[in-house]
Amino acid sequence: MTEPSRQDRQELHRRFEAVWSNWPGLGTLAAVNHTSIGLRFMVTGVFFFLVGGVLAMLARTQLALPEQDILSPEIYNQVFTMHGTVMMFLFAIPVLEGLALYMIPKLIGARDLVFPRISSLGYYCYLFGGLIILSSLFLGMAPDSGWFMYTPLSSAEYAPGPGSDFWLLGITFVEISAMAAGIELTVSILRSRAPGMSLRHMPIFCWYILAMALMIVFGFPPLILASVLLELERAAGIPFFAVGGGGDPILWQHLFWLFGHPEVYIIFLPAAAIVSTLIPVFSQRPIIGYRWLVLAIILTGFISFGLWVHHMFTVGIPKLAQAFFSVASMIVAIPTAIQVFAWLATLWTGRVVFRLPMLWIFGFLFIFVCGGLTGVMLALVPFNWQVHDTHFVVAHLHYVVVGGMLFPLIAGFYYWLPHFSGRMPTPVLGAWGFWLTFLGFNATFLLMHLTGLLGMPRRVYTYEAGLGWDWLNLLSSVGGFVMAAGIAMVLLDVVLHFRFGRPAGRNPWNADTLEWATGTPPTSYNFASLPDLPTRHPLWESPQLMDSIPEGRHRLTSIDHGRRETFGTDAVTGRLKEVIHLPSNSWWPLLAACSLAVVCVSLLIRMYPLALVGLAGAAVFLLRWSWENGAHPGAAPFTGPETDDPPLHSRTCDGPGLWGMWVTMMANGTLFLSLIFGWLYSWTAAPEWQVPADSHVSIGLLLASGALLTVVTLGYDRLVTALCRGRAEGLFGRLAGLLVLAVAHWLLLLLAVLGSDLDVTAYAHDGLILVMLLYLLFHSSLATVLLGLQLTRVRLGYIGTELPYEPVVLRPFWLYLLAVFWISLGIFFWLPLAWVGGS
Amino acid sequence: MSRAEHPVHLVAGLVVWMLWFVVLYGLLSVGCAVAPPGPGQGIWNWINASLWLISLVVVVGLALAGWWCWRAAIVSDESHARFMTRVSAAIYGLSAAATLAVALPVLFYPPCV
Repeated sequence: MTEPSRQDRQELHRRFEAVWSNWPGLGTLAAVNHTSIGLRFMVTGVFFFLVGGVLAMLARTQLALPEQDILSPEIYNQVFTMHGTVMMFLFAIPVLEGLALYMIPKLIGARDLVFPRISSLGYYCYLFGGLIILSSLFLGMAPDSGWFMYTPLSSAEYAPGPGSDFWLLGITFVEISAMAAGIELTVSILRSRAPGMSLRHMPIFCWYILAMALMIVFGFPPLILASVLLELERAAGIPFFAVGGGGDPILWQHLFWLFGHPEVYIIFLPAAAIVSTLIPVFSQRPIIGYRWLVLAIILTGFISFGLWVHHMFTVGIPKLAQAFFSVASMIVAIPTAIQVFAWLATLWTGRVVFRLPMLWIFGFLFIFVCGGLTGVMLALVPFNWQVHDTHFVVAHLHYVVVGGMLFPLIAGFYYWLPHFSGRMPTPVLGAWGFWLTFLGFNATFLLMHLTGLLGMPRRVYTYEAGLGWDWLNLLSSVGGFVMAAGIAMVLLDVVLHFRFGRPAGRNPWNADTLEWATGTPPTSYNFASLPDLPTRHPLWESPQLMDSIPEGRHRLTSIDHGRRETFGTDAVTGRLKEVIHLPSNSWWPLLAACSLAVVCVSLLIRMYPLALVGLAGAAVFLLRWSWENGAHPGAAPFTGPETDDPPLHSRTCDGPGLWGMWVTMMANGTLFLSLIFGWLYSWTAAPEWQVPADSHVSIGLLLASGALLTVVTLGYDRLVTALCRGRAEGLFGRLAGLLVLAVAHWLLLLLAVLGSDLDVTAYAHDGLILVMLLYLLFHSSLATVLLGLQLTRVRLGYIGTELPYEPVVLRPFWLYLLAVFWISLGIFFWLPLAWVGGS
Repeated sequence: MSRAEHPVHLVAGLVVWMLWFVVLYGLLSVGCAVAPPGPGQGIWNWINASLWLISLVVVVGLALAGWWCWRAAIVSDESHARFMTRVSAAIYGLSAAATLAVALPVLFYPPCV
């Protein structure tokens, strides 16, 4: 092959930019590119971090001296609640999601994530949800029940203002973005790696993010359900968590911590990903124990779901049950220790280069290990009882999340700063920033352990003098301000580096991973040509990739068709399977997010008709978005028999959309299981659970509806199987017949819901049944509408034997609906018969 | 691809562990709500016996699965297969160990107090 000239390379770049770049001006709001969206997540996250930091400083100012009244008790409650909420939900998770969205395609040799419009929707949901929550602070009506919103403190009786509603609606809105990122990252990592990159060749960063993404998929739905139930209780008076109506406030704690403990690992794993990426680079050797790290990541991902009750050791759970969770809480330290030893061994055997990011890594190692040790202390039930709800727990929490997340994050920011900006940070200012932050942090929180051991409870707005807490609190507050000065110095360093930082050049740290081949700053399409990558260390083993990729010397260099494309590969082996065509810039995500923001705000101000309008708008925008797929002229129109090898994904029966649907159903299934958990928990544990004698739901209508659903689903399944085998005789007629049956099923279900006689404001029992029925009705409505749209697409020629993809994607949704329908009937109506002999 | 190389083995051991954990906690909670044994019975009651029996079955099952994957790893001469089977074997083994560790308190504590 002849060497391409510089002119050829620039011409290739120009043609790719024409297809991949964002629209100019306001059009940039329609951007879907992962680099842009990832950066927006991170910048917005940093903004919220500063807000949370200011709130922390206010709290520390109030606590610096005893018996101060700088903040009133009401305002102090709002301040600590918003500090926790902002830091956990609006900073920690989104900023790490942003980093993952930015990095993953670049690390796996892809041009973008597989669902770019979902990235964009996720960002806007995060932004709007965050601003809605933040606005409560300026309106003086912020939530004030603590960041985990325990009932009944957050219920209407004890929190009558809109503060809790801001939290519940805003956080649920923001969680759309987390779910979007979880699904998108999972499928992208599994299905769009470069050819040859089998699982064992994945950069370790990707293993961590895969685990994080799957933990989001399974971890967030319990909180989403809990938030919906609590908001329904507050707005409509359905007593899910009120003892008098047969509910149980402890149910909230279970659902919250089913999310809340994995959440700690959801933010730790990506931070550990940064550590595991940086340490080998600054040791100039591959990480030791790659396989052990993979093992530790998988173990952490699972075992962290078995710890949630250690937040509830004082609520009166039997000692044997406490012992299960105590042991599980200690076991989770083992995979963490595996990682720490792997990092230490890599440093020990490498030639360590002490650059600025490594300072933050060492800070992480010190602080996080201390936080882990106090975590093991807290896993011991008797000790936990002693320090529950004291400042000891606050100190432990901060050692884990600041040490385990913030320090690695800043290390990562410094490491990838040249990638974002093309310039290097300044070592002196950066070192000052580190030392002030490190010393300030330890002054604040190391001493706070003692304050807690001396008995100071958390969440008190002031304290009496002479209890032995005075000097500790004062020093903690001084430490807090020193830490704030350190963070300010880091920010100053980052701002100044854009002007004064020396140009970074290519691969300034001599890294092994592929993101440095995308340019500093990166191009919008990442790679002009896609190489085979059967290695974990592409740039150490093949440094020439830095030139050969932009020169177009690898594959998929055709761009004249005007489509954004990347490779789709086998999830395990990395074998090339298809070309994934990706959507370009789009307004639909922004419009859908705006409509959802209308829903959120109108629910807040209790204007329910407006909420319905917003909901209808969101549905229209989302369905219109889904219309531009597959063979639509705006995507990849079908122009006759195609012989491409590999084929476009929309011409196959196994594209990323199918994987996305399955992962979405896993999340959906977790939500459903959480509802079943709530039902069974209430039956067995709610202190005043009551089964009303005169409630009624027509089982006959439900059975008839379920029978029709079964026929539709099995018929659809057979139709899709035939389509994938190349048979489409009478496709339109068969699909139309199924649609008629689907509408009949939906109507019967609607009749059952409308005709039900449930006293939902008096009984949690009836409230839970109503939620289940509405859940089924929502899924049934959506499945029927989507079937109707597919029928239209068959007529337009977007679906057929050459284009079987879309029915393949929808099939899991129908199967899921069928499963949850019959499981619901079994668990909500028939299982209780075994207990009470009929209800 | 041999059956032991299948990626499902990377998570199957821990999925079993989670299901077992749900059964452990669920059986304990429902058992104490429906038919609580008297406190005087100590650990000699139907709940502890059931939990221990179920746990032993799960431990043995996981250990056998781990041994099966390890055997596949030993005979494998391909690096991808070795990677998958070794990690899977370790996951099964550690899942068995985690099951045993979490179940140990069943030998010492009565269930409903």
